[in-house]
Amino acid sequence: MKLVWKLLRQHISIPQFVGFFFANLVGVVIILLGVQFYNDYKALDQEDSFMKADYLIVNKKIGALSGLTGSSNTFSKAEIEELEDEDFVERIGAFTPSSYSVKARFDVEGFVNFSTEMFFESVPDEFVDVKSDAWDYQEGSDEIPIILPKNYLDLYNFGYAQGKGLPKLSEGILGAMKLNIQIAGNGNSDSFDGRIVGFSSRLNTILVPEKFMRWANEQYADGNATKEPTRLIMEVNNPTDDRITSYLQDRDYETDEDKLDASKTTFILRVIVSIVMIVGVVISILSIYILMLSVFLLVQKNSSKLENLLLIGYSPAKVSFPYQALTVGLNVLVLILAVAVMLVVRNIYLAMFENFFPDLEVPGIIPALCVGVVLLIIVSIFNIIAVHGKVMSIWRRKE
Amino acid sequence: MNKIQLIHTLPNVFQNRTDIVSDIWNQDVTFEKGKMYLVEANSGTGKSSLCSYIYGYRHDYQGKILFDGEDISGYTVAKWTNIRKKHFALLWQELRMFPELTAWENVEIKNKLTGYQKKKQILEWFDMLGITDKLNAKMGKMSFGQQQRVALIRSLCQPFDFLFVDEPISHLDDTNAEIMGRIMTAEAQKQGAGIIATSIGKHINLAYEKVFNL
Repeated sequence: MKLVWKLLRQHISIPQFVGFFFANLVGVVIILLGVQFYNDYKALDQEDSFMKADYLIVNKKIGALSGLTGSSNTFSKAEIEELEDEDFVERIGAFTPSSYSVKARFDVEGFVNFSTEMFFESVPDEFVDVKSDAWDYQEGSDEIPIILPKNYLDLYNFGYAQGKGLPKLSEGILGAMKLNIQIAGNGNSDSFDGRIVGFSSRLNTILVPEKFMRWANEQYADGNATKEPTRLIMEVNNPTDDRITSYLQDRDYETDEDKLDASKTTFILRVIVSIVMIVGVVISILSIYILMLSVFLLVQKNSSKLENLLLIGYSPAKVSFPYQALTVGLNVLVLILAVAVMLVVRNIYLAMFENFFPDLEVPGIIPALCVGVVLLIIVSIFNIIAVHGKVMSIWRRKE
Repeated sequence: MNKIQLIHTLPNVFQNRTDIVSDIWNQDVTFEKGKMYLVEANSGTGKSSLCSYIYGYRHDYQGKILFDGEDISGYTVAKWTNIRKKHFALLWQELRMFPELTAWENVEIKNKLTGYQKKKQILEWFDMLGITDKLNAKMGKMSFGQQQRVALIRSLCQPFDFLFVDEPISHLDDTNAEIMGRIMTAEAQKQGAGIIATSIGKHINLAYEKVFNL
């Protein structure tokens, strides 16, 4: 093979390959950085892992009069259907409130001991982003998964505990502890263990699985249990859509406005990252085009050598191999260098992120690496086939 | 492979000619392994075409060519590669050497592929043909006659059932032609192979079984 390479490396144009190398490097770096940056940004954005950013929570405004006149702040069936028909809405679900009394007690050996009246709400399970087995209630079991508002934890940590000199509690510690829950109604009274699966900064309510809520409402509700919901949760296809704001305003509905802004930012960022990545892809495609052109030119210039090799018994695969190895080797080199450049750039922007989010946990670089390797494989297969095709055309003497 | 048969084979360029008088074109001809043949021709009668057809290099003919009774028109790339590596050796009229490589490397590039001849044997042939001093000379710098001798050595660096030599001594003096004949015959006998030589006038002296006029 050494002699074959000595023959076939004749006419290799170094400037062309250097040109390809840097052009493709720029393209691949842009693609990898796009993937990596988007992932890293998502980690910043996702302080709430239970709800996606493009879920909105809608309720009716409670005015000064509505309380007095008794005008309803619940959503009627017709109103929900009307909202569902809007084409900016992907799907919609209602908050179901509990129709029974709930008392919770929380004991931490000697430190904390509080007990409170509270309530439960549930939303359709498809809106809750928790692993399904953690968010499952088995009928008859006395363990209920619960999501609490993050505010509660903050109230305790920064208000109550601070004032009383009690230890602060992290989400992890609380997750390991049980909440004693007393449910009563309809002449029944039972005791349950509440298992805190997490804290949400988006939901200002105490969330239990839909399944539990349905069962409990049947069991403990007094009489006419079916109430109309006061809050709706909906997924929208484009949070930047102006129609959402105007629709809600027209009907005096409220939503968590700042979250709408946050999801707008995410959406715009996603668009920008996509555009940047498309630019990267275009640069890469063009550079690979340069590579193929220069390899084809090389094959052309060396066509008589290639033909003679074929005629003295070398197989097309053997003759193609040096050029295939050359292109694939260049691609591998580009990928390695691109990953290195990506890591350097990433360290720079992560350092900046850390100023704003000191305890930031960033995801790994596996997704970006996967994208890089997949690209490498696709491009290499394409190169290998193209070179082989070119050599076969020499075999068939179609040049 | 024991037998090459041409059945009414005719180059496409000759198909409208009615004046073809040939022992090979449009006839039924058989070449057998172990025997030596000479194909004599005037230039332009398709001597190199014949070699190209049998070698799977060109397919612009009508009629049939059979190897051991098998029609070669459907042969795959892999099959042709195998034939060129293990069954047919060919010394091209235009040599098809690599001018960028030295004489030694030109032979080595073939022998590396087949791993057939010992280095000692190759060096002996270089010596017999009087070109040992050219071993490390670039092919492009050598005369055609010297290149012809290297080309013969290269063609022998493989197992073969048939050795085709297309005008092998066109640029050689009689002494070297004679040595070349001896080397070819010895190697063919060793392998039990046949030889098919072509010439336009000056032909290499071998114990021909049959002489065809193309």
